Amino acid sequence: MSVDGTALDIALRSSRSDAGGEAQPKGRLGRRLLVVLVALIAAGVIAQAFYVVQARPEDLVTGAHGMADLLSRAMPPAWSEFGDILWPTLETIDLAIFGTLFGVLMAAPLAVLAASNVTPARPLYYFARGVIALTRAVPDLVWALLFVTAVGLGPFPGALALSVHSIGMLGRLFSEVIEDMDFGPVEALTLTGASRLQVFTHAVVPGVLPSLLGISLYRFDENLRSSLVLGFVGAGGLGFRLLTAMNLFQYQTVSLLLIATFVLVIAAERGSALLRQQVS
Amino acid sequence: MRYPNGKLALDGVDLTVRAGELVTILGSNGSGKTTLLRCIARLQDPTEGQVLVAGQDLARLNGEALREARLALAMVFQRANLVRRRSVLANVASGTLGRRRTLWTTLGGLPKEELPMARELLRKVGVERLGAQRADTLSGGQAQRAAIARALAQRPKLILADEPVASLDPEAAEEIMHLLRQLAVESGLAVLSVLHQPALAQRYSHRVVGLRDGVVAFDLPADLCGDQEIALLYKDLAA
Repeated sequence: MSVDGTALDIALRSSRSDAGGEAQPKGRLGRRLLVVLVALIAAGVIAQAFYVVQARPEDLVTGAHGMADLLSRAMPPAWSEFGDILWPTLETIDLAIFGTLFGVLMAAPLAVLAASNVTPARPLYYFARGVIALTRAVPDLVWALLFVTAVGLGPFPGALALSVHSIGMLGRLFSEVIEDMDFGPVEALTLTGASRLQVFTHAVVPGVLPSLLGISLYRFDENLRSSLVLGFVGAGGLGFRLLTAMNLFQYQTVSLLLIATFVLVIAAERGSALLRQQVS
Repeated sequence: MRYPNGKLALDGVDLTVRAGELVTILGSNGSGKTTLLRCIARLQDPTEGQVLVAGQDLARLNGEALREARLALAMVFQRANLVRRRSVLANVASGTLGRRRTLWTTLGGLPKEELPMARELLRKVGVERLGAQRADTLSGGQAQRAAIARALAQRPKLILADEPVASLDPEAAEEIMHLLRQLAVESGLAVLSVLHQPALAQRYSHRVVGLRDGVVAFDLPADLCGDQEIALLYKDLAA
């Protein structure tokens, strides 16, 4: 068998190289035509995008004067208002904390139901997958608009919006982590006669916890950025303050708020990266 | 036993492993060795037949009754299947979860009263210094010893070992086989092992069972299992 296999292998290789020798010029021409075709299609796609968004590079040149004027009016930042932006800054951070915390609390059990390898029943699996898909498909900005309408202006609708959207995002990632986990320890502990819950807490949880913590920290980072945007639809925090300052032409306040936003985002990014390193 | 696609995996396998005996199953890939072990442990459900462990037919049990019956058997896997981020001691102590079903252990706590016994088992398998280390820092041989300690923590009557030396170097493989034989002889356990190394099987087992295409080709005392019998199992490869 092995001798036949080797002979067949050699024959195949030799036939491949013969065929390649004859077909090479045709193959090369075909590939070149394909490259030209792909390049033409790519150029077409880019051109239509420029047309649809009405890109006018000359406006950048004529708008430079306006931009310079805006920047000059935004300088120096209104440092005297530093005390006034502390509260909205705290609101923004707390929006992200609330959104992430409740997102995690709701997503964790849903993820267990939505992971095909540990779900206790098929109907629960489809139910959990449905909830995750719905909460993820609707953007957090839309959730915020809905909650502002329902519960009024302020940080609470923003926090609710981040929570609900986080359920979908975290639920999907959590369930993927559970589905990809090493099932060996689960089988090993099942055979010790442990109950399903014991197997879950002793094998599944320690196996997936570092990944879940890492994903949650990353989500906090994302939620912090999102909470800034949610302020524009009335969900409080730095975003809401930024919108107000823009509407009142208080550009020095705007620049101070942008600096605060920048510091906050960088600090959260570095902080969550450091923590993720610790738990990995 | 049939696979879900209808293919026959095991047919007419009639095997008895007595206390104090190390029996090794040999066979080429796809011969049904691992399927047999997984059927015995009920990680796969046999379509027909009996699996009698300490007098109970595991093939007919489900739910709580199966969980109780499983206390009598423990399994050592090809990869040690330890919980990587937990300490070696915690992994060994987790072998007692089946008989320590308290709220504390259900919430993820370790049965503290079992820790001295877990330390003693680590000493028995020769890795007592490694108890505090994380399981993912162990070498292959150390991890397999810890996995055997976890199996022993269960106080089983039967140990199933699915290719326990497949990922080990020759020296560690000899040590693990020596340990399994010692457990059978000195502790009176029944040990059923699957191996791919005929030489190890002949050297350490009391009996060698040859499995070919899901059927028992021979079941012989190890000293009567010679090259002729081994060749019977791998004749396609030798041809």
